[in-house]
Amino acid sequence: MTDHQWLELAAPYALGALDPQERIRFDAHLAQCATCRAEVQAFREVGGLLAYSAPAAAPPHGLRDRILSAARQVRPMAARRGPVLPWLAAAASIVLALLVGNAYRQERVAREQASRALVAAQDSVAGRDSLIATLLAPDAGTAALAATGQPPAARLFWIPSRHRVVMAVYRLPPAAAGRIYQLWAIAKGKPVSLGIFNTAPDGSLRAVMNAPRDLAFQVAAVTEEPAGGSPQPTQRPFLIGKLAGGD
Amino acid sequence: MGESQVLGCAVDVVLSEPRSMMASQNNRPAIPDCELVERMAGRDERALGELYDRHGAPVYSLALAIVGERADAEEVVADSFGQAWRTAEQFDPVRGSVMAWLATIARTRALDLVRARGRRARALTRAALGNSEGFAAPIASAGEAPDRGVERQEERRLVVRSLAELSEPQRRVIELAYFGGLTQTEIAAELQEPLGTVKTRMRAGLEKLRGSLVPPLSRGES
Repeated sequence: MTDHQWLELAAPYALGALDPQERIRFDAHLAQCATCRAEVQAFREVGGLLAYSAPAAAPPHGLRDRILSAARQVRPMAARRGPVLPWLAAAASIVLALLVGNAYRQERVAREQASRALVAAQDSVAGRDSLIATLLAPDAGTAALAATGQPPAARLFWIPSRHRVVMAVYRLPPAAAGRIYQLWAIAKGKPVSLGIFNTAPDGSLRAVMNAPRDLAFQVAAVTEEPAGGSPQPTQRPFLIGKLAGGD
Repeated sequence: MGESQVLGCAVDVVLSEPRSMMASQNNRPAIPDCELVERMAGRDERALGELYDRHGAPVYSLALAIVGERADAEEVVADSFGQAWRTAEQFDPVRGSVMAWLATIARTRALDLVRARGRRARALTRAALGNSEGFAAPIASAGEAPDRGVERQEERRLVVRSLAELSEPQRRVIELAYFGGLTQTEIAAELQEPLGTVKTRMRAGLEKLRGSLVPPLSRGES
């Protein structure tokens, strides 16, 4: 299939109108094609608006009470946080072992990129100050996250003293509906979730994630997971990078 | 929202401003939708009530358009808001508006219910009857929509107007996909048209909708 033919599938895909086989093939293509993913995201927004074209109807009066009384008997998923945090804490005992290499140069380049990203972002002054202080911490380490043979799609800043990960994503189309990206620290070959995220329609994101205390890792990776994230990766990482510095 | 702070409403202010959040919420003095959802994640039932007051009617209208029976539509809406309540934590403002999120939940549930009953979606019945009015016509004549919020009504009018600008065959394939839950092959069989024709119409129709819908609704962003 040519690129053009793939692109034509974005609109029906967003509407859920592709035939199963075609959908599966396009899913696979989407995993590696940023253009098509951006296209899908745009059409998905159009699809969302179609709900407004339904003939207006007034819901029955008792419906509101019914919904509220049902809600009183159900705990929202916020309760799910419980098991996630101990799981993250389990990673806390892992020892930091770093790959050094050309750490200094990478760090400098990465910080310059971050500064540009910061200037571009319309952040609050407080948020910016806090972010700069975080990025310029003496113990900051960085990792460029990239697909095999591709330029970096994201840059990670790891600040052990603050238990923080700052992530700048540059070229990553938003995840498909019902999917989310998940960032993993790979510590001694074992993935530890650092959090879930998604990008803006233009493929960018700047995020701060809190890491477990004493976390140490050498490699960071990004997978695509079902919305809400997964306790363990369910897919091979499509972005991966080695950490330099960070001690 | 897991451990990442960036997904919540509050952090948007610190680090980035998701575009999609702004589209439906400018000019609204009340709490933004996404903050309501955040409060729902914190088990605030009043937030759920407010969310229903804002979006209950359009979500119900969507469900009714798919399932056709009022009792079924009520079931779908109750389940959908129940799901929104349980999964409020997973809502991601970067991905789209709260209404789009609710619509996705309700559409999926409504189509599931129709399929579970072995019935055809209402949209299919309309198409089979050769109703050339589509969905845009009834709503345009329905006058005041029963939901609150001026800008939502404007969104609605804009969608209706944009759909009306499509050719009838284009509108029909899009409605069969969205309200009927049909794939392109199923639509081709339904309309007894060549698959290639259906594909072309759907793509052309969606391209046109995209052109007329996305820029106007995003204007409030900058």
